[in-house]
Amino acid sequence: MATISSAPMPGMQQIDLSKLNIHQLAKLKQQLDQELNVFQDSLQTLKIAQQKFVESGESVEKLTAAKGKTILVPLTGSMYVPGTIVDTDNVIIDIGTGYYAQKDIEGAKDYFKRKVQFVTEQMEKIQSMGVGKSKAREAICMMMEMKVQAQSQEKKASTS
Amino acid sequence: MADEVQKKLQKEFEIYNNLKKEYHKAVALKQQLDSQLNENKAVKEELALLKKDSEVFKLIGPVLVKQDLEEARQNVSKRMEYINKEIKRCDGNISALENKQEAVHENLNKLKSNLEHLKISA
Repeated sequence: MATISSAPMPGMQQIDLSKLNIHQLAKLKQQLDQELNVFQDSLQTLKIAQQKFVESGESVEKLTAAKGKTILVPLTGSMYVPGTIVDTDNVIIDIGTGYYAQKDIEGAKDYFKRKVQFVTEQMEKIQSMGVGKSKAREAICMMMEMKVQAQSQEKKASTS
Repeated sequence: MADEVQKKLQKEFEIYNNLKKEYHKAVALKQQLDSQLNENKAVKEELALLKKDSEVFKLIGPVLVKQDLEEARQNVSKRMEYINKEIKRCDGNISALENKQEAVHENLNKLKSNLEHLKISA
């Protein structure tokens, strides 16, 4: 029990995998699996966020073309009323934590471009971290296999 | 004698489990605070980028209420300060729980080996 809890965190410091026993390796692998899952989930969420920002950016570009034209405003999912956009030069953007800021079209485009860039950067960071963890996981798997094989050979040797 | 130790062990184990639960709760709280802090950071940056005459609204219930830009900036800064303080408190709580957990864990191990000794000698 005590040896497992004192197993060093992967990535925090260099550890020699060959010095760990099978239990420790299994525990480490489990930990890495969990972390990889978290990464996967985060990537999924970031992808959705990125998509939203891209879509919003596209809508803003289309907005200027809609000047003077009649549009249909959805009241519910299946009911629309006609209307016109009076001000196609300014939009109000949700910038988070309940704050909304009015921006002109250029500013809005810039905002969404920045947001997409930010999210993309985060995704790249997570991806590179994920690659490192995957490599560590592979190494642990290999080491575990080697240990299991060594153990079974020992058993054979002692029984024969 | 063995029964007594067994009872003690059970009690200690319960304490340990409770500590574990508390620990997980504290960690979850910290994660929540972290994400809040990040969101506020993004908002602060965005507010800093706005021009002086830009209009800022705050969502209160279903309506957008116009707000002073300077006030909004101060508000976000204050909120970040508060969240930072909360995070510090939470960190302290987490490390305290870690220490407690370790102590109880050691105790548990001691009781376990105690029990085994008693069983062997009995």
